[in-house]
Amino acid sequence: MFGWKGKILRIDLATGNRSVEDLSPDLCRDYIGGRGAGLKILMDEVDPRIDPLGPQNKLIFATGPLTGTGVPAGGRFVVVSKSPLSNCIANPCCGGYFGPNLKFAGYDFLILEGRAPSPVYLYIRDDQVELRKADHLWGKWTTDTEHALRKELGETDALDDWQLSDLSVVCIGPAGENLVRFACIMADGGRAAGRSGLGAVMGSKNLKAIVASGTGQVDVADVTAYSQAVLDFLEEGRVNRVLHNRRMYGTWSLPGRANKSGTQATRNFQEGYSKAFEWYEDPNHVRDHIRVRDEACFGCPFACSKRSRIKDPEYPWTTKGPEHESMALLGSNCGFGDLDDICRANYLCNELGMDTITAGATISCAMELFESGYLPEEDLGYALGFGNTQAMMALLKKTAIRQEFGEVLAEGGKFVAEKYGHPELFMGIKGMGMPAWHPQGVPIIGLQYATNNVGASHTKATLPFYDGRRDPEEHIKWTKHDQDYVALVDSAILCWIIYHGPLWGEKLQVWLNVITGLDYDEAELRKIGEKIWNMERLFNLKAGLTAKDDALPRRMTHEPRVNDQVVPMDRMLPEYYALRGWDEEGIPRPEKLAELGLS
Amino acid sequence: MRIKIDYAKCTGCKLCQVACSLAHTGSVNPQRSRVRVFVGEDVCLPVIAGPYTEAACNSKENMVINGQDVDGCVVCRASCPVKSAFKEPDTGIPLKCDFCGDPPDPQCVKWCDPGALTLVDG
Repeated sequence: MFGWKGKILRIDLATGNRSVEDLSPDLCRDYIGGRGAGLKILMDEVDPRIDPLGPQNKLIFATGPLTGTGVPAGGRFVVVSKSPLSNCIANPCCGGYFGPNLKFAGYDFLILEGRAPSPVYLYIRDDQVELRKADHLWGKWTTDTEHALRKELGETDALDDWQLSDLSVVCIGPAGENLVRFACIMADGGRAAGRSGLGAVMGSKNLKAIVASGTGQVDVADVTAYSQAVLDFLEEGRVNRVLHNRRMYGTWSLPGRANKSGTQATRNFQEGYSKAFEWYEDPNHVRDHIRVRDEACFGCPFACSKRSRIKDPEYPWTTKGPEHESMALLGSNCGFGDLDDICRANYLCNELGMDTITAGATISCAMELFESGYLPEEDLGYALGFGNTQAMMALLKKTAIRQEFGEVLAEGGKFVAEKYGHPELFMGIKGMGMPAWHPQGVPIIGLQYATNNVGASHTKATLPFYDGRRDPEEHIKWTKHDQDYVALVDSAILCWIIYHGPLWGEKLQVWLNVITGLDYDEAELRKIGEKIWNMERLFNLKAGLTAKDDALPRRMTHEPRVNDQVVPMDRMLPEYYALRGWDEEGIPRPEKLAELGLS
Repeated sequence: MRIKIDYAKCTGCKLCQVACSLAHTGSVNPQRSRVRVFVGEDVCLPVIAGPYTEAACNSKENMVINGQDVDGCVVCRASCPVKSAFKEPDTGIPLKCDFCGDPPDPQCVKWCDPGALTLVDG
């Protein structure tokens, strides 16, 4: 096969058994890979009603046919599993080198089952696949874990500096070990498969880390056409203004822009504007202040990710980010805007292995509960108002090890708000905290968040600045269109940040055909995207989700906080269901399932 | 002609390795590339494969680049018995940059978008 390696590596963590299975060409054709094929495997093998932190849950590390080929911005992998945060399907994507390394080792998919009796890490180097003891790594922060593993492998496996530089480490921090429900899986020094809490699933399996490297190849069907297509793409990329911004600033051009337009999540979404964030209107301020270097994922000419460092000996390592969403949720949404403090919070989340967005959403929820008088000071031991950065850093550390009030926060913002009698104060959907853009500023984002299969994630549709997406008449159409399209992007796998929305829409098809040698046409791809979205919906419905869960926090629909408007979900949701071919309860109609070949 | 390396511009995308392996092997395999990028935490170092040496050096100098300690073997261009890079992974046959033919048309330079690799006279 071209593009795919055609192999699945399956590890039973309970017994240590491993097997290599053939990947069916039909699965590749019909689901492409990544998020789509991973979902199909999960649905075939796992009952959606299981406890996500129980041994029945599986973790599927999935790559796509484009992974490892060097397609510009195609170096990502996706982790498919059931989320302990939302109880829904989970499919966070992550960049770096791990996905390509898994392919070079010879595998498209890595399926992890069961639960190891004691902490282990998985070592993959081509055919050499071993579970090794990880008791000595348990409790370590993520950068420490990487450092320790590289040092150890230099000794035990006699790897030289080049081999150590080429291998990828994926690991969890203390948050994952302690089953914090928004723990993430960290990769390659600060990247994250962030949303959905899959770090806790990895922790529940007693799996501390995965190390992958390989000496194999990925075959491309038409080398000449592929090489030319890449060179043409690089040429286009040099003159594109949006990509220029990504190259220069990553997502650092967004906080100032969002704030200026009054759509920056602020003080638990009570406002859409933060005075402190006026400083961010010139993205050079951020770049000049913290950037160490641009850091590309495998095969990406744009290198939007920035390594950063602050001058504080308590925070010794460089780390990735903070990205726009982290800056908003850990910054303005918690009532402050100082960049050094935002970097501290981002650093702690990366090192402890927690999702910056849900961590910020959870703490800001607690801050509002405290300021409203619902969360008594004696439960905390100190005052936790908006802008209390000292308390916040301490709380992040305590959350990761479930100490004191951290025990409560570790269950997620929804739990905190319910425990103190005010569930409406958690600004999230399906248990997952909302990202930076305030839905009242851009209502289409409200619809995207509310109907998203994984919860309030911003990466499963697109930003609303293109074509007619701001036109209320077009909200429904574009939401469905973009959700289906991104399902393809995550399956191929391309990077959402570069390929979202109308940008490069037709490129997906070009890359797929030139690399796999198959003849996907637009209609077939569109149908695959829609099929993946509907299957995820079916997974969620079986897991117990109902139409009630497709709701925004009451504040978004009833309290006009931004632009004097609320998100008209009453109107939009029924129209969205109808366009999707779903009934009033949000259940796909039999005709729709038959059309997609899912009945 | 030679290929000039400006490590400060390198982002670690390894597209040079993709280009090189495609041009020389017809498939994508960064381990079979004649240009390699060492990715450290705070610095990326592209190195282009030079001649094969039959023995390891008697002495080498380690250095500090951009605040990071770098082993002298990492920035050395030679393919040599004590180093894994610049060898065919299956056979151990040494690899050496050939500038993609004559006249030189190095593919790594074409694919290097940040401009860390450039073809210069002299």
